Amino acid sequence: MSPAVPDKETVDIIREMGGGTLKICYQCGTCTGTCPWNLVRTFLPRRMMHRAQLGLIDFGDKDIWTCATCGACAVRCPRGVEMIDVIRAMRKVIAEMGVAKVPDSLRVSVKNISYVGNPQGEPEKERGSWAQDLGVKPFAPGTELLYYTCCIPAFDAKVRRIARATVGILNKVGIDYGVLGAKERCCGESVRKSGNETIFQELAKGNIQAFAESGVKRVVVNSPHCYHTFKKEYPELGAEFEVIHLSQLLDQLIREGKLKFSKEIKKKVIYHDPCYLGRHNEIYDEPRRVLQAIPGVQLMEFQSSRKSSVCCGGGGGRVWMETPKEERFCDLRLKEAIDAGADVLAVACPYCMLMFDDSLLSIGKESTIEIKDISELVLEAL
Amino acid sequence: MAKKLGVYICGGCGISDALDVDKLCGVATKEFKVENCKSHPFLCGEEGAKLIAQDIQEGTNTAVIAACSPRAKMDVFNYGPSVYVERVSLREQVAWVHPPKDEDTQMLAEDYLRMGLARAQKAEPPEPFSETIDKTILVVGGGIAGMTSALEAAKAGYNVCLVEKEPSLGGWIAKLRKQYPKHPPYRELEDTGIDACIKELEGNSKIKVFTGAEIEKIEGAPGMYNVSLRQKGAATSLKIGSIVQATGFKPYDPGKLEYLGYGKYKDVITNVQMEEMAQKGKITRPSDGQEVSSVAFIQCAGQRDPAHLAYCSAFCCMTSLKQALYVTGQNPDAQVYIFYKDMRTPGQYEDFYKRVQEEPGVFLAKGDVKGISEEGGKVTVEVYDVLLGENIAVNVDLVVLAAGIVSNSMPEVAPKVEAVTPDGEKKVTEIVSDSGRYATPALHLQYRQGPEIPTLKYGFPDSHFICFPYETRRTGIYAAGCVRQPEDIAASMDDAAGAALKAIQCVEQTARGQAVHPRTWDKSYPSLFMQRCTQCKRCTEECPFGMYNEDDKFNPLPNPTRCRRCGICMGSCPERIISFKDYSVDIISSMLKVIQVPEPDEEKPRVVAFLCENDAYPALDMAGINRITYNPFIRVIPVRCLGSVNIVWIADSLSKGIDGILMIGCKHGDDYQCHFVKGSELASTRMGKVQETLQRLVLESERIRVEEISISEFKKIPQIFDEFMEKIKSVGPNPYKEM
Ligand SMILES: Cc1cc2nc3c(=O)[nH]c(=O)nc-3n(C[C@H](O)[C@H](O)[C@H](O)COP(=O)(O)OP(=O)(O)OC[C@H]3O[C@@H](n4cnc5c(N)ncnc54)[C@H](O)[C@@H]3O)c2cc1C
Ligand code: SF4
Ligand code: SF4
Ligand code: SF4
Ligand code: SF4
Repeated sequence: MSPAVPDKETVDIIREMGGGTLKICYQCGTCTGTCPWNLVRTFLPRRMMHRAQLGLIDFGDKDIWTCATCGACAVRCPRGVEMIDVIRAMRKVIAEMGVAKVPDSLRVSVKNISYVGNPQGEPEKERGSWAQDLGVKPFAPGTELLYYTCCIPAFDAKVRRIARATVGILNKVGIDYGVLGAKERCCGESVRKSGNETIFQELAKGNIQAFAESGVKRVVVNSPHCYHTFKKEYPELGAEFEVIHLSQLLDQLIREGKLKFSKEIKKKVIYHDPCYLGRHNEIYDEPRRVLQAIPGVQLMEFQSSRKSSVCCGGGGGRVWMETPKEERFCDLRLKEAIDAGADVLAVACPYCMLMFDDSLLSIGKESTIEIKDISELVLEAL
Repeated sequence: MAKKLGVYICGGCGISDALDVDKLCGVATKEFKVENCKSHPFLCGEEGAKLIAQDIQEGTNTAVIAACSPRAKMDVFNYGPSVYVERVSLREQVAWVHPPKDEDTQMLAEDYLRMGLARAQKAEPPEPFSETIDKTILVVGGGIAGMTSALEAAKAGYNVCLVEKEPSLGGWIAKLRKQYPKHPPYRELEDTGIDACIKELEGNSKIKVFTGAEIEKIEGAPGMYNVSLRQKGAATSLKIGSIVQATGFKPYDPGKLEYLGYGKYKDVITNVQMEEMAQKGKITRPSDGQEVSSVAFIQCAGQRDPAHLAYCSAFCCMTSLKQALYVTGQNPDAQVYIFYKDMRTPGQYEDFYKRVQEEPGVFLAKGDVKGISEEGGKVTVEVYDVLLGENIAVNVDLVVLAAGIVSNSMPEVAPKVEAVTPDGEKKVTEIVSDSGRYATPALHLQYRQGPEIPTLKYGFPDSHFICFPYETRRTGIYAAGCVRQPEDIAASMDDAAGAALKAIQCVEQTARGQAVHPRTWDKSYPSLFMQRCTQCKRCTEECPFGMYNEDDKFNPLPNPTRCRRCGICMGSCPERIISFKDYSVDIISSMLKVIQVPEPDEEKPRVVAFLCENDAYPALDMAGINRITYNPFIRVIPVRCLGSVNIVWIADSLSKGIDGILMIGCKHGDDYQCHFVKGSELASTRMGKVQETLQRLVLESERIRVEEISISEFKKIPQIFDEFMEKIKSVGPNPYKEM
């Protein structure tokens, strides 16, 4: 085989696409040692960084789509390399410049989002249907809080329970809130992570405009992905609203005495830190405090938790991509929870719920453990 | 002066609980007929101290204090230079480590007291060697290390003579365009500051600079060196106290790097040539004078390769990073590749490494060079990228070999000596590095052991790697900068300040008549009873520090200020004529003689253990402090260095019926820990020979054992003791007991 020739142009493109920190990688291998993929298969982010440094990236390599953007590597990288940005940049080169093929399932989901604002390809006008029987009022100017519903709970029949539990709590507490229904579209976080910058920008600008037109000042979300992009990416595009994750809101309400429990849940509950709530936004304590406030709950921890939490595998667009059965690391997480003797695996992210629900089915342990969002648990105990 | 002895036994710290103090007094008064023996329950307290002070006022000039270790309460039991104090360690070596009120414990204490008394009867307080001395410091070599040493010494108030063989000062740093950053945030190149440094140096009235000068001869010893200098043909002589050698480095011979294309392709150059080019202005291709747009650096061009330079040259990684910026600075579109084995950018230099990585045109890869070839006016470098697991290739205008350095002490070729064997044959032998005749001439010392400082395997000066890095094997001569080890400007400057301090310490200690190092307090020095000298040359050859010169009849000529007071010469002398006032063959022999050896049927064997005062003896104290118990049949004698153990002591012990002899010193070999460099090595060679002799005398060689430990391994001492006693038990009693 003739030797590969480093190519500066490719490096320059990746840099321009936002992957500039790849230059400072010094090949220590910490990322490869950290990446959860290596629990189930070989995946070498270090080598990918080095290939990219030399401009020797094969854009046809399927592994460019493997990263779940969980951030486990980036928080440990001694050099401060933003791998997620580097991988996003490479995906951008593929998606936007068409130098290689985007995986089919991802392409379809993104296309759906671009056409109808949700990955499932459901009609836009149905976005608010989940709330029909719950007496939720549409957001009107002057309403205090917008409950922005992530596409997954809005359209997925199983995950819908998160949205229903959320409004159940909000109704009971008596907060002045509303929903935008068909006026809102996908937040675009995973769209961006999968390299589709243009579509992301459109989505974001659309949402910003819709929020502004309705006079939205404060938004509560279930999904850490929505939280992340609203908090960290939308402001650059002109957003001025404040965003709060449901766990933060619940924590605040409990502390202010506005949310009081009347029932006991006598269960062992193990909490899974979602990557985008934990590592990406360092919200570790609020969800734990909420769970601990529920009478009877015995809170348990995974061996790897908080900053070291192991990804469910759903980030970075992976939620829309097929993962072979034997390569799902959320299976391992679930097994750990079962082995630890937990009755409930508590999540705080719709992606996590989707992934863990799937795992539960595939490993066939439905009778041993339940997957619940913290909103569900809170509502049960009210 | 007539000895007037006082014996003082302390009962504190558990001593009187463990021992019968009155019986102990009896040893002094009855066996040794000492009139004055006192005991006190708390000797180091105010009352106890007064007790001794009172006697001293009344004429007692030798005090045997049987209390704690000689390493404890040194300030309390100090009565000035004219009173000899002998300390008997009843606390750390008896009361704290052996069962109380036990027969063997009492016997041990009594033996120690006897040994202390025997020593005190013979030892005298040392009188310092005094001479008028000169405190001027000579610095040889005017690179950054030499200049810094000179400035530091001058700022501390000392006169300095700086000798540089080139017409101008600066050494290598005068040839650099820029230096890599030394200050936060470690991102931008800096000027070397050489001009300001030279100006400061020349403006300092305490410093005399001799450029274009070389040393012809250095005679004498610390505090009184006579240095002969030749500057532009004219001879000068200087009186010097101590010396800093900062003669720097030379680049590794690039002629040996043909495997990397050097000499084969014009556009393959070294980092030194790159620096020269950069300093002159433009970086161009030697082949056609064109400005370069792509450069490949090859790191470790020979370094860390046993076939070339086995060691790391310390600054070539940083230098290539710096030179990469010269290239991108000249042409922002240029591409620079750095192929490395490991990038070594210690400490904050990491920040600079990162900064260079950020440069869009700079690419780094860890790999092994597979081939270098030339085609179409470009040089192709093929590298196996170990992190990719594949070969990569670059086509560049210029290849820079980041070659390493060699100490200027390292001779081009090892010098040889010719000798005629007794049967008239001519024999040529190569001189080994561990010799004063090996290094490239620089100092021209008039020492019997050779004109230069002894070096190590790769030509760097020998020094105690961990504890005393600047001390060479010649007292009063301190190495700094790249002559000592590969290091960059910042490290050379640190070195230079350290060596200057050492040089100052030398002249000050010498003026006080004290050893410079490591026995800094010691005023004793060896004196020779020349009437009995047989000119065997053992002392002149074995002193690791070249203290003795020799006259034409091979008589040793001592130079006491060169001496480190290790006693190795004393250990070497077969005639036993080398003595210190407070440490001699005779003194230790008399200690051995007073040990009481029980009859064999009592089954109480006796072993003498010689422990090095630097590590093993303090370790024994630590074992005591930690109350680690061990065998009570061992009698410990501290020695200055295992090398000071004279074979006569072995003979004395064995003929007296001692069953075994143990010696514990510091590690020897390449990574030696011996404070006197050669002492423990010499001891083990000598003991090897003794063991052979024993076998000839039909005595078991197992009766003698040499062990090595470091101070932190105190837990091993009791183990060594116990194991050795097991061995002695199995060998059986010394047959000489019955004779
Ligand atoms: C290409 C290159 C680039 C470098 N870049 C950097 C850099 O950017 N930053 C950095 O920190 N370091 C750099 N270094 C390292 C730096 O040059 C050395 O650390 C420094 O020069 C060591 O100084 P020195 O005084 O020990 O030795 P030297 O500079 O070698 O000085 C020794 C002096 O002693 C003189 N001498 C030798 N023998 C005798 C004798 N017998 N009698 C009298 N005088 C004698 C010599 O003429 C010389 O002037 C670089 C080195 C090289 C080769
Ligand atoms: S952890 Fe960071 S520096 Fe280390 S190999 Fe990965 S990206 Fe590079
Ligand atoms: S972000 Fe997570 S999945 Fe992606 S490379 Fe890093 S550790 Fe692996
Ligand atoms: S500094 Fe770097 S290039 Fe120089 S020898 Fe050491 S590792 Fe090799
Ligand atoms: S062997 Fe030791 S004591 Fe003897 S002269 Fe040399 S340095 Fe001094």
